[in-house]
Amino acid sequence: MSELDLSLGLLAALVACGAALGLDAVSWPQAMISRPIVAATLGGALLGDATSGFLVGAVLELLGLGHTPYGAAVYPETGPAGLLAGAGLAAGGGSGIGPLLVAVASGWAIGWIGAISIRMQRSLNERLLAGGGLAAPAKKLERRHRLAMVLDALRAGTLTAAFALPIMLLVKLADGISTMEGVVAASALLLVGMGLAGGVGAGVMRRRATDPLLLLAGGAIALAMIVTGR
Amino acid sequence: MKPTRSDQVASFLRCFAVQGSWNYRSLVAGGLANAMLPLLRRIYAGDPVRLRAAVERHLEPFNGHPYLCPMAVTALARLEHDGESPERIDRFRSALRAPLGAVGDELVWATWRPFCLLLSITIFWLWGRPWVAVGVFLLAYNLGHIWLRAWSFRRGWTEGLGVGKDLGDPPWARVVPWITSLNLLLIGSAVVLVSWLVAPDTLGRWGVALALAAAALLGYARPALGERLAAGLVLAAPVLLVLLGA
Repeated sequence: MSELDLSLGLLAALVACGAALGLDAVSWPQAMISRPIVAATLGGALLGDATSGFLVGAVLELLGLGHTPYGAAVYPETGPAGLLAGAGLAAGGGSGIGPLLVAVASGWAIGWIGAISIRMQRSLNERLLAGGGLAAPAKKLERRHRLAMVLDALRAGTLTAAFALPIMLLVKLADGISTMEGVVAASALLLVGMGLAGGVGAGVMRRRATDPLLLLAGGAIALAMIVTGR
Repeated sequence: MKPTRSDQVASFLRCFAVQGSWNYRSLVAGGLANAMLPLLRRIYAGDPVRLRAAVERHLEPFNGHPYLCPMAVTALARLEHDGESPERIDRFRSALRAPLGAVGDELVWATWRPFCLLLSITIFWLWGRPWVAVGVFLLAYNLGHIWLRAWSFRRGWTEGLGVGKDLGDPPWARVVPWITSLNLLLIGSAVVLVSWLVAPDTLGRWGVALALAAAALLGYARPALGERLAAGLVLAAPVLLVLLGA
């Protein structure tokens, strides 16, 4: 198990990225840099392993496909969560199913904690925009709107700062599990695969009779590519 | 007065922050009014009373897909410019909410974003370069994203009350079913590819293939159960792994 090297500068970079990614998801500019495959790759790259970051991001992405931001739906926050999951896996050495599962678990959990913080932020926004007088002068509306966005970035940065170190230590703890044997690994993989398929099954609209066939055809093509060595 | 080009640019840029003060009472209205301000200030130049009334009108609850909200911003500003009555503006505003949300959700959240994400995962599997995959995702997604915002902003101003035609038969209507089909193919392959990439070497190819086939069938047949089991597993993983590791 290698040493965990997390300097203050690196922590500051993670917090700044967490704040920017949190802001992107809803407030500004919604360019989707907050998606797990981007955030986790960034987190992994900051800790020296972008590939591990992408992997954990891809798993989180598929798990989260069933959670779409329709209307006022509650869904896991992806930016800080992906960033920390990617950074955690890269910090933990990036190998073995144990660290990967812990990184995914961490990302999933932080995503839901982030969802709670977003609810709180939205309630605060309600108070910011309540009470009238926003239209006269209209500059008050502009100031309150900007303040809400600054608070959103602060919220995401705080979330990142609070969980950065615990997540990396947790993933490091799981390093030894990469030695676990076939049966446990198979069970874990089965459940992860089932979850992935469940997530995507809930995430796509099944409106046509051909949809399941297309899904299976995609899986079959990928399996054929794997088995024949691409 | 008619808004100038720079008013329109300022308003368009503010549309990127339309959800910046999203809240449970007025939803996206604060962002909508904030984005309309550069246009309203020009339309009601020298008339602070009417400006204030217009801003208050647009602070009433409103919601819609953020990428299509620019259409509401400019269509409502067009009505203000054309001197429509407040009652008619309110009725139009209420009528816009549902289609703006439904059309945008189906196009962006259910179709375009999954397509770009799945394409990115496939590219990563084929070439193994994470930044290339991320770059393709961001470029492809944001080409569509910015085009949609610009299109809806433009159509709102030119069509005004007539934007219902655009929302009823949008230019992408014939493309969406094809992308949905492609998404299903990509999802099927992404589940297999990602699981293969993260699979431990001890299982071997056929072990992985069989496990995935069983998982995919179970997960697809019972999506809620599959997701709950997987979430439970990943959340319990830290404890399990520490115990197993010991």
